[in-house]
Amino acid sequence: MSVQETKISLRKIEFPACAKEALSRISQLICRRGPSLSQMDLALDLMAEFVFCEIDKRGNKLPPLNPIKELQLLDILFEYFNGNIKEVFKNTVFLSLFSGTTATLRSRILSKLISIAIGVPSKSVLISASALMQQVGDSSMNYNKLAEAIVKDYFVLIPNATQRLSGLPDFPVPRSLLETVVLWVTANSKLCIAAQQNPSPRSLLETVVLWVTANSKLCIAAQQNPSALPSGTIVMESTTSIAGLLKWCILAPIYKQDSELYANLHLGLLNNILDIPQGYQPKAINHVHLAVPIRYIYKYAASLVRKKDEAEKNRCLLEDVNLQLSLDRYAQAVQVALSTNCVYGNVGELLNQLSQLPQNKLWSIVIAANQPNK
Amino acid sequence: MEIQSLYTLSDEEYVIQRAKNALIMDPIAAKAWMITAKTLYPNNFGVQFEAYRIEKTAGHLREAAKCFSDLIGKFHQHPEFWNEINKVTSALRIDSDLDPERQFLSKMFKHISPEIQHKLLLITADHCEDTMEHCKLLLLLLQKFHSAIPSHAPALIDTLLSAEKHSHASNHPINNYRKILVCELLPLLNEETTTVELSSKLVYKLLHKAIEYYVHSLNFHNNSNGQGIVNAELSWDKLCSVLEFTGRQLGWDPYLTTFGQNWTKEGYWQKLLTFCQSQCMNMDDNNNIRQLLYCLTVFFLQCLHDYKLSLAPEPCPGQPQTSYFLMEAFVDPTYPNPIIEPKSKRRKLDHETSTPQITVDKPELRNIVNNFLMTVKCWELLNSTEALQREYTKLNMHLKLNVWLTQFLIDYSVYKGQLDDALNYIKQKQDQYSPLKRNLRTASIQYLKKNYYASYNHIRSVIETLPTSNNGNLSNCLIIGGTQRHLHFLPLTKLGILQICTKLLIRSILEKAEGGYADLAIGNILVLSQLDWPQEEERLPSLLKHIQQRGAFQYYLFQTYVVNVDILEELTFLWTHQVVLDVVPHLGPRRIGTRGADKGVKEEIRQAIKTQVCRSNDALDQLIISFITKERESILQTLMEILKVIKQYTD
Repeated sequence: MSVQETKISLRKIEFPACAKEALSRISQLICRRGPSLSQMDLALDLMAEFVFCEIDKRGNKLPPLNPIKELQLLDILFEYFNGNIKEVFKNTVFLSLFSGTTATLRSRILSKLISIAIGVPSKSVLISASALMQQVGDSSMNYNKLAEAIVKDYFVLIPNATQRLSGLPDFPVPRSLLETVVLWVTANSKLCIAAQQNPSPRSLLETVVLWVTANSKLCIAAQQNPSALPSGTIVMESTTSIAGLLKWCILAPIYKQDSELYANLHLGLLNNILDIPQGYQPKAINHVHLAVPIRYIYKYAASLVRKKDEAEKNRCLLEDVNLQLSLDRYAQAVQVALSTNCVYGNVGELLNQLSQLPQNKLWSIVIAANQPNK
Repeated sequence: MEIQSLYTLSDEEYVIQRAKNALIMDPIAAKAWMITAKTLYPNNFGVQFEAYRIEKTAGHLREAAKCFSDLIGKFHQHPEFWNEINKVTSALRIDSDLDPERQFLSKMFKHISPEIQHKLLLITADHCEDTMEHCKLLLLLLQKFHSAIPSHAPALIDTLLSAEKHSHASNHPINNYRKILVCELLPLLNEETTTVELSSKLVYKLLHKAIEYYVHSLNFHNNSNGQGIVNAELSWDKLCSVLEFTGRQLGWDPYLTTFGQNWTKEGYWQKLLTFCQSQCMNMDDNNNIRQLLYCLTVFFLQCLHDYKLSLAPEPCPGQPQTSYFLMEAFVDPTYPNPIIEPKSKRRKLDHETSTPQITVDKPELRNIVNNFLMTVKCWELLNSTEALQREYTKLNMHLKLNVWLTQFLIDYSVYKGQLDDALNYIKQKQDQYSPLKRNLRTASIQYLKKNYYASYNHIRSVIETLPTSNNGNLSNCLIIGGTQRHLHFLPLTKLGILQICTKLLIRSILEKAEGGYADLAIGNILVLSQLDWPQEEERLPSLLKHIQQRGAFQYYLFQTYVVNVDILEELTFLWTHQVVLDVVPHLGPRRIGTRGADKGVKEEIRQAIKTQVCRSNDALDQLIISFITKERESILQTLMEILKVIKQYTD
């Protein structure tokens, strides 16, 4: 069947039935060893025209789907990914649907699909979603939006989310969920600094603490269970959520967040780090991610000592309980992470940056202990 | 403590002190500090041990276990930690302890990973200078880690055996080394999943040690009056499990060495019989004989133990304990046949006449008989073939079982009617028998051997040692009908013993008189018959007939001992029908003279009879006891002929 024939036959079917039919055509086109470029192009065309209805038959841009059509599409997608298809094929289709140049356009649908998958919960959709995140990484702004949407659905709109989600810490549901949550947190740290207030609903924090303390291997789960990806894919290094979560508890004191939950999360993370298997190639924490809190602490310290003379500056920094607590937590985390040999990247550079932090006895001990020439 | 003042501390102290400070206010932060300290100073014992101590003080099981595990590989040489290790291992050995520290340590141990647990126990055992401690720790290790059994069990067996040999207790089978070996280690080795390589010589040695231990410990329990009966039941299971182990090690047919949940004595006996029959062709096969020998011996010992236990059943609360004693009782063909159980009905006739009837007073005591008969069957099977007998003798020499068997062997001889054997055993083992039992049994045997004089002497000794606190009841099972011999499990109570002694004596006198009754014999029988009235009433008419034929009855003990209303009534009847009653000593024998001349005498006799009737409520047991003990001369006269015979013998 030629390209045109395929499109014509699909155009005879009404939405949403055409979306369903298109999905099966798409999987036939791309789920094979080395699909040709034309096949890939056709698949992308089918997605745009028949699944997401972004263009009409002449290639003109169409307005976004109305809510009813959106719901119909979600139903079809959900059914498709819960169908009896090999995991690697599901992941292939999922990746082609939601990554690439059209990702921003489709992020609304994606976040709703994942949100439904968390609520049901649907293991297959979440597996595919985590494969997507692993490949695309946490830096993309699209996934910040996605995380934001999910946190809104589960932690803002539902009052007792902790209770509802507490049953989840089994593979793979919480893993994916945790990843999304962490992405959100890392992405929103700027936001929280600006507002200087609780960056997250308490229930989100509670849920994270519950998971992290209940399972000391949770944070590295994504690395331990790599997703099934289409053949020929360049597998991306997945990052763990450890550094992102650590930043959260390290910075909490200087943003006047004194909830016990942060201390609990901190301890849970230390235990997670300790449980990273030894001798395992260090890739759990990137040195750049671990260095992120430094600049926030600088800013805070600078605000403390503004317009003060040199002698008073030091005393002021030492006596600020919040600053010292923040530094203590930071030093503890770095020490434990370095001792378990799970930091990768330029550790010497990291130590160099850390030695510029405001005075703290634990920091001087930790830096002295971890000098490479020692 | 202010943070500033902490700055004067050394680095290690600072970190530890921060953890300690946080402990009360913020335990979460304290833990974070502790983790940091541990990663900062992995080789510093002080820091690591302090971390452990903080977790222990805070009562955190999981964390303390983790710290303990970190310490064990690196720092177990450190005396302070060594002390802690010992505390843990000692806590493990005491199961129910209220001491909170030990409870904590014992629980903490469960949170330690199996490899570390293994290591801990092994290190401790290796460092232990006291052999007993060493053995206990190794045992603990094997109990917790069955995988360690193949590598460590043989060494532990050797250690236990040589420790026993060199300890002060080497001559006594009940010692702590043996206890560990037999009660703990061997049953553990029997666990299905484990395999140990042991030489067959050693396996036999272990089995011997086990049998010896159980026989001795059970015997010990028996002596201390039923203490530890429950333990005894448990330990048979354990001995069976040792037997199972032996069987598996030596490649025995599992047919005889499977002791499952549904194990019954009767079922096992059938198995033994089947095994004997199926293997009787191969009886020269040493392995088969040994297999049968050990299984049978252990089973025999178990039956024997059960028999002994059932002889002295647990009393109802508030009642004295009664023990039972196998005695030859009496048969009277004129009595109705006892109700024979349907089972024995099916027996063949010739078998029935040679097998004695065994009775008990109450149906719930029937298990004594069953236990006894099962023991007898085992004993007979053990002695059924020469090969088996020879092997048993060897085993017996080794284990010195005879000491324990004597009582049974006497019972067995009595059962078989081998009176001389029984007497020999009694003589040999005087010290093992209480005087009461010895005399009672001898009295019975001498009566059966028609040595009435000797029998009476032993009866007198029995009467002197009658139990005072346990009165008991008269039995109505001492005489049964039929033609078989009759054995009875006699309750060793005051009345029970007195009753059988009285019956023995009545029969002695009767048999001696052989129908030609002297007045004295009749009188003595009348006195003795009163105890078990009216069971003895049937004898009365024939005695009265004798008196009537003779027309006179002289018995000067009348006023002292005859109080039974029925007897008095019959005698009065005879007296009013022209029979002279010479029962009041000072009146002397008188013929019936002129009418009216003996009116005063008549009055006196009537008065005497009246007086006796008034005494009819006297305590008969006391009366009979004093008759048997005080009237030796009168009784001996009725047994006189025997006396003469004995004199002839001895002269």
